[in-house]
Amino acid sequence: MSNNKSTCILLKLCLASLLLASVLSISLVAVAAEDSQTAIYLQGSEVAGYWDPSDGYSGEIALMQNLYDTLLYYDAAESKISPRLATGCESSQDGKTWTFKLREGVKFHTGNMMDADAVKASIERTMARDKGGAFIWSSVDSIEVVDDYTVRFHLKNQAPLNLIATASYAAYIFDPAFSDHDWFIAGNDSGTGPYTVETSEGSEKVIVKKFDEYWGGWEGPHFDHVAFLTVSEASTRRLMMETGKADFCESLPPTDIDVLKSNPTLKVEINPSFINLVALYNTQKAPLDDPLVRRALSYLIPYEDTVKVSLGGYGQVSRGVVPHGLWGHSDRVETFAYSPTTAKALLAQAGYPDGGFTLVLTYPSGYDDIRTTVELWKSACAEVNITLDARAMPTSERNAIARSPDKAKRQDIYLLFWWPDYSNPDSYLGAMFRSQEKPSYGLAYYSNPVFDGLYDYAVTLPAASQEATDMMVELQNILQRDAPGLAIWDMPSRRVLSVSLKGYVDNAAYANVVFWYDCYRE
Amino acid sequence: MLTYIIRRILLGVLLLFGVSVIVFTLTHVVPANPVDLWAGPHATPQQLEQAYVELGLDKPIPVQFGIYMAKFLRGDWGISIVTKRPVLRDLATYLPASLELIIFGMLVGFAVGIPLGVLSAAKTGRPIDHVSRVFAIAGVALPSFWMAMLLQLALGKILRLFPLTGRVDLLAEIMNPIRRITGLYFFDALISGNFAALGDALWHIVLPGITLAMYPLGLATRMVRTTMLEVLQEDYIRTARASGVRESKVLVKYALRNALGPVLTTGALAFGYSLVSTFLIESLFAWPGLGKYAAKAIVSVDYPAITGVTLLVAAFYVILNLAVDLVQALMDPRIRLG
Repeated sequence: MSNNKSTCILLKLCLASLLLASVLSISLVAVAAEDSQTAIYLQGSEVAGYWDPSDGYSGEIALMQNLYDTLLYYDAAESKISPRLATGCESSQDGKTWTFKLREGVKFHTGNMMDADAVKASIERTMARDKGGAFIWSSVDSIEVVDDYTVRFHLKNQAPLNLIATASYAAYIFDPAFSDHDWFIAGNDSGTGPYTVETSEGSEKVIVKKFDEYWGGWEGPHFDHVAFLTVSEASTRRLMMETGKADFCESLPPTDIDVLKSNPTLKVEINPSFINLVALYNTQKAPLDDPLVRRALSYLIPYEDTVKVSLGGYGQVSRGVVPHGLWGHSDRVETFAYSPTTAKALLAQAGYPDGGFTLVLTYPSGYDDIRTTVELWKSACAEVNITLDARAMPTSERNAIARSPDKAKRQDIYLLFWWPDYSNPDSYLGAMFRSQEKPSYGLAYYSNPVFDGLYDYAVTLPAASQEATDMMVELQNILQRDAPGLAIWDMPSRRVLSVSLKGYVDNAAYANVVFWYDCYRE
Repeated sequence: MLTYIIRRILLGVLLLFGVSVIVFTLTHVVPANPVDLWAGPHATPQQLEQAYVELGLDKPIPVQFGIYMAKFLRGDWGISIVTKRPVLRDLATYLPASLELIIFGMLVGFAVGIPLGVLSAAKTGRPIDHVSRVFAIAGVALPSFWMAMLLQLALGKILRLFPLTGRVDLLAEIMNPIRRITGLYFFDALISGNFAALGDALWHIVLPGITLAMYPLGLATRMVRTTMLEVLQEDYIRTARASGVRESKVLVKYALRNALGPVLTTGALAFGYSLVSTFLIESLFAWPGLGKYAAKAIVSVDYPAITGVTLLVAAFYVILNLAVDLVQALMDPRIRLG
């Protein structure tokens, strides 16, 4: 009797709990549906890995680009520079002096006014700290304040300062009166962007609110709040999108994309990005010190299959190291295709008719797309009796090997993702293939005086001009012939967004950034 | 008693020093170089060299350790290579979330596990005993990430009863922000009278809390069952039963009280284990706690953060074990400290 009574009470309790939970969930879902002024953004990496606008050089740009403005903005789809804090800029005849006209009446979130002094102080602070992407300003000799709203940059050598001023990193303008490093890392901002920080929790959750005095004004539909969340697990990100708990997810694996494409509440956008997968051959170590072997290896990559398997068919096979969509990319660049027969012939010519050697390949751990590409390459190599000893490692570990003073300890092939520092192909060619005494990312250890000379000349040419483009093509063709390395595929961006989210336009120049001011919920 | 406590504290300090030596050495001898992470991607050779000096890696390891300890004792636990923020500040940010989750998980685990263990011992060989044993073994043996995904799928996605991630609903957080006092949302919401946020926090902790509770639940059930079976064979229990004492009183007042000692000890260990199992659970539930922070630090060879977290966890172990010993001595007059 007593047992029956207890069971009955227990059952009632369970039912009551379930009822309470249902009521709570329904009411909160109702609140969510009613609130059209708050957007939720999901990212796999830290949304606020860096708080200091001078130092940032990572996934925090999705947040920072909404808190801070740069002088100019780059539209990658149109290859066009447009005004932001500067209304325009002009260069001297020799390309060594750049004058920027600033927008008037712009307020920092701190309440102070933005002017030429603030621009000078911001860039000088970033240069002085020399962190993250600060090297983009390395050509700047001095900054002159001409008047309250005119600032002039004097350069040591020619550089595309209009493009540099659009950079997604290290080009933010902030209030110099509020630029203490400790103040920034406590989760504060002093930008001029449409949003300002409301609350934050570590580096993984930041809620921003609209800045009422934003220079762009608030007419029309906009979000009042945006929450930036780090959700490292892809499965959790997918669940959050499926259940309507988020508006935008910067990336999901191809298999998830295939499923979500048929979900009527979600929209999938596949766009080109400036990120590509690059393989660097150790040109100082046998047998890869022979260009014939390097070329043979390049003919052993099943390019189409890697795109199909690793990227779910969403990416593109690379043509040259400059990715699709960025100036400098051209159909005139020679390319490799999968051809074991050519590879065998080249190996025979190099003195390895039967293969018979092992190559150590290191790649960053945690990336399924790279792992599958490596597996496909490995199988193709095995067919010509070359063993690829592929090792997935954390970046810190494999870079220690790659930069080891003992050259014998270095890897044979180094795989990495690359993207530009600003919308310019320089870094694909310079950082990885120009001669370096102490290699940072020149991990092909490649040295070619002809390449170096042409590169040094190319970077002095006006960006995107015909001559500059021709030089970029020539440089890439040298790399194709010498084969110190190559790009395998150009990665697409795989965005998942709620169908009710409007106004989003993908811009490859600002990876993973949603300019929330332009977005609204319909 | 006081001498015993002082001796244990001193031994604890010595232990922590040993832990710091081991962790610091291990993180510095692994073939990895954190300068890339510190300097950022695409860093120039000059920036890499600068990072090398800034991190103090140009000095011999014993010197680096000496500098670290000198700063540590002044309250400077170093700067995290991943977050670029002081480690102590990071720990203060992330620890409360983990503590809240662990305390909730432990409470649920023991609140369910102990009665289940008693029931199982009282009904040995009956169906309820078999069910509880299976349940207990499953609780200990099932991988927490699998359990987490299962709960997310069933109760989060399909039935939509509980939220999938986070400590509170973001919209609720914007409309009803919790004033941060201790960082423990339950406590902060309660003392600031923010009951809407309290309910929301409770609602959010259910899935990660149940996932975390599975291990202490299984452990408590098994431990209580085993010790209860031993105690129930004792003469004084037989005497109590023969004297006509109600069975429920025999089980709870006489048997369970004497069976709880080992459970307390394992409880302290389970607390430490839970700190570690949060590494996965927090990642899956996007719970902004210490486990997630530690997991990221480990894969990034963020040695100031790794050392900080390890010392904190070790300190928890030391303090909890001391507390358990003291409580046991108070509960059981047969135990003499010294």
